[in-house]
Amino acid sequence: MSQPFLQIQALRKDYGIVTAVQEVNLTVERGEFMTFLGPSGSGKSTTLYILAGFENPTAGDILLDGRSLISTPSHKRNIGMVFQRYTLFPHLSVGENIAFPLKVRRLGKAEIDAKVARMLKLVRLEGFEDRKPAQMSGGQQQRVALARALAYDPPVLLMDEPLSALDKKLREEIQHEIRRIHQETEVTILYVTHDQEEALRLSDRIAVFSRGVIDQIGTGPELYANPATRFVAEFVGDSDFVGCRIVAAQGGRADIAIGSSAIRGVPLHGPGAAGGTAALMLRPERLSLTRGAGAQGGANLAATVTDITFLGSNIHVAAAAETGEALSVRLPFGHEAASRISRGDAITLGFDPASAHVFVAS
Amino acid sequence: MLLNFDRLGGWKWVLLGITAMTSAFLILPIFFIAALSFGSSQWLIFPPPGWTLKWYAMFFADPRWLEAAGTSFYIAAIVTVLSVLIGLVTSFGLVRGRFIGKEGLRALFLTPMILPVVVLAVALYAFFLRVGLNGTVTGFVIAHLVVALPFSILSITNALEGFDKSIEDAAVLCGASPLEAKIRVTLPSISHGLFSAAVFSFLTSWDEVVLAIFMASPTLQTLPVKIWATLRQDLTPVIAAASTLLIVVTIALMLLVALLRKGLKS
Amino acid sequence: MSQRNGGRVFGMALLTAQDNPPLAAKPRGLRPVNFALTLPALLLLVVFFILPVLSLLLRSVLEPAPGLGNYAALLGSTTYLKIFLNTFVVSALVTAVTLAIGFPVAWALAIMPSRLSSIVFAILLLSMWTNLLTRTYAWMVLLQRTGVINKALMGMGLISEPLPLVNNLTGVTIGMTYIMLPFIILPLYGVIRKIDPAILQAAALCGATRWQALTRVLIPLATPGMVSGALMVFVMSLGYFVTPSLLGGTANMMLAELIAQFVQSLVNWGMGGAAALVLLVVTLTLYAIQLKLFGTARMEGR
Repeated sequence: MSQPFLQIQALRKDYGIVTAVQEVNLTVERGEFMTFLGPSGSGKSTTLYILAGFENPTAGDILLDGRSLISTPSHKRNIGMVFQRYTLFPHLSVGENIAFPLKVRRLGKAEIDAKVARMLKLVRLEGFEDRKPAQMSGGQQQRVALARALAYDPPVLLMDEPLSALDKKLREEIQHEIRRIHQETEVTILYVTHDQEEALRLSDRIAVFSRGVIDQIGTGPELYANPATRFVAEFVGDSDFVGCRIVAAQGGRADIAIGSSAIRGVPLHGPGAAGGTAALMLRPERLSLTRGAGAQGGANLAATVTDITFLGSNIHVAAAAETGEALSVRLPFGHEAASRISRGDAITLGFDPASAHVFVAS
Repeated sequence: MLLNFDRLGGWKWVLLGITAMTSAFLILPIFFIAALSFGSSQWLIFPPPGWTLKWYAMFFADPRWLEAAGTSFYIAAIVTVLSVLIGLVTSFGLVRGRFIGKEGLRALFLTPMILPVVVLAVALYAFFLRVGLNGTVTGFVIAHLVVALPFSILSITNALEGFDKSIEDAAVLCGASPLEAKIRVTLPSISHGLFSAAVFSFLTSWDEVVLAIFMASPTLQTLPVKIWATLRQDLTPVIAAASTLLIVVTIALMLLVALLRKGLKS
Repeated sequence: MSQRNGGRVFGMALLTAQDNPPLAAKPRGLRPVNFALTLPALLLLVVFFILPVLSLLLRSVLEPAPGLGNYAALLGSTTYLKIFLNTFVVSALVTAVTLAIGFPVAWALAIMPSRLSSIVFAILLLSMWTNLLTRTYAWMVLLQRTGVINKALMGMGLISEPLPLVNNLTGVTIGMTYIMLPFIILPLYGVIRKIDPAILQAAALCGATRWQALTRVLIPLATPGMVSGALMVFVMSLGYFVTPSLLGGTANMMLAELIAQFVQSLVNWGMGGAAALVLLVVTLTLYAIQLKLFGTARMEGR
């Protein structure tokens, strides 16, 4: 098997007594769109900045095509980067901004002009060469930043929450642009965001960051269907959590008890042992609902309705479990039982134990 | 109500009156001197019996006045260049650095601005006597540099702090070395700060009186020193001419700075 | 702030003030390189500012003989004490006058329509930046026996003999007030600007007359600015050299001129150093008081 294109090995970054990145291991394939997803302070941006060369790691290395990046100074790494704050050079025009990295590399005028024209076409800003950044909107500025970062054909493009400063509609528009540009240029992209929807929309794979480590790497569907930790389960997709007791644990599966219900064969994550407590994770849209205390096939959970909301294509039912936790249930519009229940009713929620998850804190 | 201009009632006129009188008080002497420099009375009688340019002619004909003006300009120019250069380097250290005592250092750099100049003048006079720098251009430049540098540092650190460092980082990522990025990207972006630093350093040196009195010698005088020496003897209108020239230079530079600032805001 | 350097700071602050949004600096760890960048300026300051001043102060206790003889002479002699007193009195007088005139002007500036206030600001700035000697010279001419003011007063029949307006306390006070006015008006303006007009409206609603609102609400709220501005003017006046020397005459010597005389005419470094130290100590003490009351923002003129 050929050497992986980009390899992050045992990366660690301490700031005095604070550890921003504990240990990060990651390989990225050529041409892949990989997103670092996580809340602020999770280490995703720090990892990106180490890649860019703005921070030096306390330990670990990064290999690009087998070459160590850490020992290369920032301006020789030949990596493109787009920031949250556009960071266009305010005293240069759009064309001069894009030409800057090419001028620094001492390319000839004709070649520079050709590349600038090509980049403007790529981000669909032809005719804007002579504008100054201050005369352009946020979305346009970000596209210029993208053009500038790609002008010198870098092998890797880093993007640090580039769309957080834009409003929702504009964000979606530029997300679409980014996908298109990724397909056209086939550049490898490392994208940082805290927005799970954005991550799911853009990426080939997602690395979920939490407190300085990567909890899980996988495609969107993988993370959704098989979250490795409670954090990933909460961060990707909606989730309900119910406290439970482990009755038995074997071969990666657990039998649990919640109040009076017993559920068998739920995938287990973490060091679970019989007698211990854990949290059961359910997806609101994969629950079935019947009135009363009827038993159904699969697993059952008793609950009481606390609220019903009509949301267009969905009906959202808020309920309280036996043990008191708040639960969300999402049902399609027209669901029979949902239209006949009201606040205070007793209901039974059903689910397939094999698609639920039990998490034990480690 | 007291802070609402239209609802002050009678008091409004009192306030306006005091302000008008104070403004007149502040500006009239300046016009007065300019007017006197064109007046024909040797004893500075106002209104002047006639108008003349002879005081200006005397000023430009007198080699000692011209020499003093030239010396002032020459020293101010050197001080400006040094002040901006050292101020630039120092500002980078103060704004980008992280070391203990940084804030204390910043305050220390401002002290020449706040302590009485006469103390510095006397101290430097004593020191320069010992090392033979008295009455030399070098001595002058050093003395003026000490009091001009705080303005330079203030102006440039202000501009540098308002500059988003990510832009410089972006330039580095684009392939420019850290030094190249500063020269090509950061310096142009803080040019207004550099310009202000230059103007204020120049004016500080050009107008400086107290240090100059102590640094001067009979053969090396700046314009303020010559005016001071002449003033202690008599009030000849040639001084009015020299002063008016000084005023014109100051106004011109002030307008430049104001225009530049306006240009930036648009 | 010494001489007109304070004026520079205000002028500069007004002309170059940027509205900078605070930018979070990314932590970069200790960078020895950046400290080194401050070394040239630091060396300049140490060698040509701190050391010479310290050396001068040292001479005050070493010449002509080790001990505090110079200070005893300085503080024991009536001549010198009169000069200290004079310096103090002039400074206090100037401070009082500038405060009395400056407050209404600052108040007016804070609420005037901007067409008018920009004219006044332009005048203030022009006044501050015009050469100190020029402005002092102007008053020397204006106040002389045959000068405009005396002639006008005689012409109006108010006096029969020209008044001695220069080379005395009157001349110095007028001249110094002229110089110091902008230094009190500008910070006071800043303070009054920040007062919420609604507070004064509430006072009116509560039934206060304009006079009561002034003495019980506006002035107390503006007091921090007044105290701060007054302290600054006072400190500056203490150390002033040019204007008192030209307008005060020999009977009115102030501390700065005394120091200069010790050093230039009498070549008495011991006494010169001692007088300088007295000035320095008083200045630093007053600044320390101001710092304690108001923080460092004031000193940088922001």
